[in-house]
Parts: sequence; structure tokens; C-alpha cells
Amino acid sequence: MLTKQFSTQVCEVELVNDDEFISFFEKNYGLFCNHLLSIKGEISAKVESFLQQKGYKYIQNVELPKGKLKEGLEKEIEKVRQEAFLERQELEAKVAKLSNKLQQNLKVMDSLVRSGQELKVDGDLLLLNRVNSGATINVSGSLIITQIVEGSIRCNGDFMMLKASPKANIVFHGVEVDNDYLKDRLNRVELIENKIHITPVLKETNWA
Amino acid sequence: MGIVIAVISGKGGVGKTTTTANIGLGIAMNDKKAVVVDFDIGQRNLDMILGLENRVVYDIVQVMDGEAKMKQALIKSKVNENLMFLAASQTKDKTVLDSAKIKNLVEELKEEFDFVILDAPAGIESGYEHTIEFADAAIIVVNPEVSSIRDADRAIGILDSKSQKVKDGEDVQKHLIINRVNPAMVESGEMLKCDDILDILNVPLLGKVPEDRAIIEASNQGKPVITDNNSEAGKAYKRIADRLCGKDVKIPEFVAKKGGILGLFKGMFK
Repeated sequence: MLTKQFSTQVCEVELVNDDEFISFFEKNYGLFCNHLLSIKGEISAKVESFLQQKGYKYIQNVELPKGKLKEGLEKEIEKVRQEAFLERQELEAKVAKLSNKLQQNLKVMDSLVRSGQELKVDGDLLLLNRVNSGATINVSGSLIITQIVEGSIRCNGDFMMLKASPKANIVFHGVEVDNDYLKDRLNRVELIENKIHITPVLKETNWA
Repeated sequence: MGIVIAVISGKGGVGKTTTTANIGLGIAMNDKKAVVVDFDIGQRNLDMILGLENRVVYDIVQVMDGEAKMKQALIKSKVNENLMFLAASQTKDKTVLDSAKIKNLVEELKEEFDFVILDAPAGIESGYEHTIEFADAAIIVVNPEVSSIRDADRAIGILDSKSQKVKDGEDVQKHLIINRVNPAMVESGEMLKCDDILDILNVPLLGKVPEDRAIIEASNQGKPVITDNNSEAGKAYKRIADRLCGKDVKIPEFVAKKGGILGLFKGMFK
């Protein structure tokens, strides 16, 4: 398919009075002879013969696609710009809200959890120390513990990442996890489609 | 102004009272004024270990209640005149203790002595809480076995939440003494290793004391083992007291004595 694009000059005119129309285009022939006339209204036989005689090209009662005046264009650009700005602001607010929520719910601790201490966290927990035998941690969200766990853990989040000694008692979503799977290295415990998946973190994780 | 040190353990029978007596005497031998206070109301033992049973007239409860003056109740040690002893009451129980009275007592002792050493009762009940309440530092005594470690861990947890210094936003200094270390059992893996204990409790090591028959004999005779220059435990307590007085003394590793000529050779080539 071959397409060509031209730009033409169009003169739009509303035809009300035949004589006025004929005299106007008679007078300004030089100006409009290469224009395409877009005529609105009924064309009488008299006008038609005039147009044919002069060799004017015309169309009748056609809604032409129109470009915009400069001011209009500028206004429109400004409008789009503002809309984009508002949208971005809205998105930024949303992101801020989300990250705020994350920060409020994520508790970071680097203290030792000693025997007899009970830690209850509503949200996620990142613990950078060990959990001693006889200590209890209860987390409603996800959990990462970077050092060995010897106490009991109750976790109901999306995942937990820990390394447990044989003394530990670890319950994930109400199911006791066998310590044998969690020993020696950091493991990732996840709940996928109602099944508990335990994946060892194979690379030696270096937290320092 | 002296420093108040509570000797704690959580579990009973690990050697708190023996440690208190020996450290107190060791500090006195360093020419510092020390007082050892028995806080085990109702079950006093420190008087026996110091050999001062027959000298107790007034006790700590009577001093706190104003029935006796501090000077009347303080008993001078037979071995070293820098060491004083304040006995616990044997007839009352722990419920007579009261925070305000203890504070007064401790403040008064702090004025006069360089070291105020409080022998805490076993367990984590009110008697223990009162002992640690106004302590500036704590010496935690453990044996290299799991139950002692867990109880000590619990006791430290309470120390970190209930002591007045922590409530004021400061830190209570903590020092660990590993008592009754049996080198042969550590080598064979039956006892917990020192590094593992330090890992679990996260408290700096002040000293290690080996298991020693001389301790029981010393306690029975009322002469703290630190006075026995041939005893390994006595020497260990001496080193600990020196460290507390600011001397830089190394912590030696204990090596099991091996019997027979082969053992002797092995020992030589170590």
C-alpha cells in the first residue's frame, strides 16, 4: 500500500446568500483558487455552475479534522502536564504510605533474647542476635533471625529465615517444623499453597 | 564512693557464696576496703564459709529496721582486717525486704567501703530482685552445664529489666565467672566450652575457677580457699580479685593432669 500525505489549505465557508458568496469568491479568486473550499449549507445550481466555471475544488457539509489554534494547543499541553504531575504526586503519596506502613510494621532488633523473655511482635521482625534456650518469640508477620535459635518461635507470616539448634521449638502457621531441616545453615521456610517449603540458603550468608 | 556488686547465678549450688567470700577476701588482700553482705535472708551461709558463725549478733534485717546500728552489725574478718561481713537474718524470710530500706543500707555501705559485695539468693524471686535493685555491677557465676547457663540467662534478663540503674537509663556492668571447670571433662566434650558459654550469655569473662577438692575442705573449716596458696581454685580467685582491683592479669587455660609416663610426655609436648 502506498500512502502519501499532503497538507492543503482549506477555506471553510458558510453559505447563506448565493450572490454574496459568488461576489466574494469572484473578487478573491487569486487568493482562494488553490484552496479547498469546505462549504456548509445547500449549494444551489447557480453557485454550482459558478464553482465549476471558476475551477474551485470544494466539498460540502463535511466535518474536517481541525488543528488547534496556538493558545488552545498551549492550554492543552499545560493541562496534560498538570494531570501528569497530579498523577505522579498521587503515586508518590501511595508509595510513601506503603513504605511507611512497612517501616512501622518492621521491627529491627539487635539485642540478645534471653531465657524467660517473651517477644511479641505485631508485624515483621528482623533480629540480628541469638535467641537463647527458654526464650519465646511470637511474630504475626515474617521473620528473619541472623544468629542461631535455641528458644521457641511462633511465626504466622509469609516466610521465615533462620538457623535452629536441636533444642529449638519452631512453629510456623501452627505446624511444628522439624529442627533437623533447619540445622547447620540459614533456611528459608515458606508457606506455598498450604504446604511448608524449606529451602536452605546455600551460599554462606555474610551479614557483616 | 564505692561500687556495689551483686553476685548472682539464678541456679543454686553453683558457688555464689564461695565466690562472694573469696572475692571479698581477695579485694581486702589488695588493700581495698570491702564488705560482703549476705542477702539470702532465711538461709544464710556466708557466715560459715567465712568462719564467723559464732560472731553474729545483729543481722541485716535488724540494721534495716533500725534495731541495731551498722557498726554493731558489721563483723571483721579473722583473716584480713580490710574485710567486713554483714550477716543475713536466719529467722525472718525474704518478704521483710523493702526497697527504700535496702537503698538506705546500700548507700550507707557505699560511703564507707570501696567494694560492697552482695551475695544474692538462688532463684529469681523477690529476694533476688531486691539484691540486684541497687547494684552498679553484677558478677554472674555459672557452671559449665546447660541448666546453670539457662538459669543465669534468665537472671541476667531480670537484671536488665528490674535494676534501678537500667531504669535510670544506664547500663549495669556484667562480669562472668565460670566456676567448677573440670578440664578433663571439657576436653572430652562432656562440659560446655567456655566460648560457647560466652556466646550464649554475651557477658565478658572475668575468670574461670577449676573444680577443686580444697574448696569443700576450706568451706568446712571456715577459711576461704583463697588463703590456700597451693590450691588452683584459690589462685584463680586471687586472679579474679586482682582483676576487679584494676590489675591486668591473664586468664590461663586449665589443662587436665594426665597420669602415667605417656601422659607426662604428652603434657611436655603440648
